[in-house]
Amino acid sequence: MESILKFEQVCKDYPNGVHALKNVSFEVKEGEFISVIGPSGSGKSTLLRAINRLIPINGGTVLVDGRSVSEQKGRNLRRLRREVGMIFQNYNLVYSLSVLQNVLHGRLGYMKGIRGIFGLYSEEDKKEALGLLTEMGLERFGYNRASDLSGGQKQRVGIARAIMQKPKLLLCDEPIASLDPSSSKTIMDLLWSMTQKRGIACLVNLHQLDVALKYSTRIIGLSKGEIVFDGTPEQLDDRTIEEIYGTSRENLMIGGNGDDKADTVNCA
Amino acid sequence: MIKRIPLIARDLKRLYTVLLAVLLVLFAVCSLLTNFNLMTLFANGDAFWEFITEDFLPPALPKASRIPGVLSSVLVTLALAMSATAIAAVFAFFVSLFGSEQVSPFPRFAKVVRGFATFLRNIPALVWAFILFSSLGIGTGVGFVALCITSFAFMVRAFVETMEDVSQDCVESLQAVGASFPQRVSQAILPSCLSGFLSWFLYCVEVNIRASTIVGMVGGGGVGLTLFSYIKSFQYDIALSIILLVAVMVIVVDRITSRLRKEILK
Amino acid sequence: MSENMNKTILDFETVSKSGSGKIRVKCRQRNRFIPVFLAGTGILTVVSLIYLNIDWLKMASRVPDIGEVFWELGHLSFSNMDLILSSLLETISIAVLSLLYSLILGIFFGMLAAGNILKHPVLSAVVQSFFTFLRAVPTPVWVLLMLVCLGMGPEAGVAGLCVHTTAFFTKSFAQSFESIPAETIEALEATGTGRLSIFFNAVLPASIPQIVAWAGMRLETNFSECAILGMVGAGGIGYVISNSLQGYDYGTAGTAILLVFLAAYFIERIFVQIKRKFH
Repeated sequence: MESILKFEQVCKDYPNGVHALKNVSFEVKEGEFISVIGPSGSGKSTLLRAINRLIPINGGTVLVDGRSVSEQKGRNLRRLRREVGMIFQNYNLVYSLSVLQNVLHGRLGYMKGIRGIFGLYSEEDKKEALGLLTEMGLERFGYNRASDLSGGQKQRVGIARAIMQKPKLLLCDEPIASLDPSSSKTIMDLLWSMTQKRGIACLVNLHQLDVALKYSTRIIGLSKGEIVFDGTPEQLDDRTIEEIYGTSRENLMIGGNGDDKADTVNCA
Repeated sequence: MIKRIPLIARDLKRLYTVLLAVLLVLFAVCSLLTNFNLMTLFANGDAFWEFITEDFLPPALPKASRIPGVLSSVLVTLALAMSATAIAAVFAFFVSLFGSEQVSPFPRFAKVVRGFATFLRNIPALVWAFILFSSLGIGTGVGFVALCITSFAFMVRAFVETMEDVSQDCVESLQAVGASFPQRVSQAILPSCLSGFLSWFLYCVEVNIRASTIVGMVGGGGVGLTLFSYIKSFQYDIALSIILLVAVMVIVVDRITSRLRKEILK
Repeated sequence: MSENMNKTILDFETVSKSGSGKIRVKCRQRNRFIPVFLAGTGILTVVSLIYLNIDWLKMASRVPDIGEVFWELGHLSFSNMDLILSSLLETISIAVLSLLYSLILGIFFGMLAAGNILKHPVLSAVVQSFFTFLRAVPTPVWVLLMLVCLGMGPEAGVAGLCVHTTAFFTKSFAQSFESIPAETIEALEATGTGRLSIFFNAVLPASIPQIVAWAGMRLETNFSECAILGMVGAGGIGYVISNSLQGYDYGTAGTAILLVFLAAYFIERIFVQIKRKFH
């Protein structure tokens, strides 16, 4: 299979001297569902934002679909970004607009000139957006203000917006960090089913180790900007977890031990 | 000595003490510098009272033939404030987009834009008017430009702050979607900040009603010039009626803008 | 699959369509007033501009002169530095003094104007409307009148500025006082505390951060007002600026304007710092 995303020796230093990424290299293939885990400040967020150049990198190359991200400018950069969907921890919707308008924002990258500026979307796009909302179970909320929705519903709008882009790759930055346990499960299930059905590769930043273990086809462990683990969930043993987080597995799960994984997932 | 039991936290108390001391010192220094003495005001009380009762009251109307002129000068002041604020608001909107690091496509120049606005804002409108008078000559047009400059600078700051108060996350998400800069502005900034912008715009209209009266006094035309000429010619009773007219104008505009603001922020 | 989905969704009662059969995308309950307001403002602006009948061509033909004036202003001249500095100090002092006097007056009248302290509705209504009138008249008008009464000198400036500043403080302090919850005042009344005592021990201390914020905002305004007062005949830096501009002494005017800017800028910065301390 062809690789959709390729990191080659990527480095990122911030002006304040923090080395967020150090020689990071990996590849992502079609249909993969990869969780990126690691403690706060390990560079997870930077890693995702390096892919669509919301944060520019200092060294190495990021290849999306064979094109180097750093070399794209202007229209080409926007064209590359529209092929990469992104979901945010804080949903990042425009709360004064309708849910439908927020979903349709996913098409902006495909629109030009006046139509894009005034938000004159085609009827096909609108139908598709309504279809997506139905798939998300939000068909009744299409004309509500996005601010009226609950957290879980807002994140579902965020997913619909990303899927509207018809992306080849979906980036999720802590998608469930601000959600309650039951909405978190809905969101993770939706992410899994939407991406698998459409063959979209998915890269998810996660705080919750148990969720990562349950959903991923592959896990990348980051610590201080370096990849310390890259493999299937089964390969992730206690020693590696300790290396990633700097603490033992028992300390990572509130009120449970590492063995009853299923339990923790259900109540998480 | 009996030790008093403190009633408020010590650092807060110290803050208040320092503040009070600074105020007292400031008061003393400023009084010395200006030789200002409250007593002279009271000593002048009689003259004061005489002025009010003899020269000022009762308000008198100007000659009937001049009333239409006075009323049209009020209209000039209103039109000056309205158009100058509106034109300044349009410019301020576009410039403020480049004054916020998160929104601007050239974040490096955001500081320059804000610094420029600070410079324009901290020079009073009347100083601008005088600078412009000495190059463009006296007239309504110059009053218009002077008002435009200060309200432009004020609104650039207010708009940038509005944009920064409203969460900037949606701009990032539209960037990730591949939206261009005009698309980000029209689809994320405008919907979420427009009501805030308009509220500041209304505030600026209120301020400019007063400012355009003042700019008028030194040569910008309008009711300010009319008032100034009556004061200069010692017709204080007529001046009082015009002052009342100005007050009514300002109060009516304030009422209207506060109603409009409520509607906009609903 | 997607075809199918579209069919089902389009039957759905939730889809709203416009007259021409297009699917609507906007919110159901959005603020319909804003477009009306924008259109109204646009029309008013155009009408105003036509009414003002400004000779744009003549102005445009003189635009190069602006550049020349700024060029001249840029040649700062420090020969009159002592005059500039002393008048700047005078201006700052007048601004500060009028602020301090108005603070005291404003707290007093604010107490009278606030409806929840003396609980005398007629008194507060009278005080409020009187100060609304004073506030509606621009400061230079008051200063001009004071100049007539008191003659040239800082007294006229301080008194004239005080009128407007006190009126402004009365309104804003009354608002701050009224934002104290009625339950707090009720609870203190129940203990038998007198009205004035409640004001000085509970209401005033609780409003201090807001008072500081208002005062800071007002000092900025007072300074710029004060700087322009000279132009209508009072002393201070404004007089220096207008005088030297009219006498084509651009170097001195440039230096004075630069100092006005710097002073205004520092006042702004200082109050940003003070407000931070109080939050």
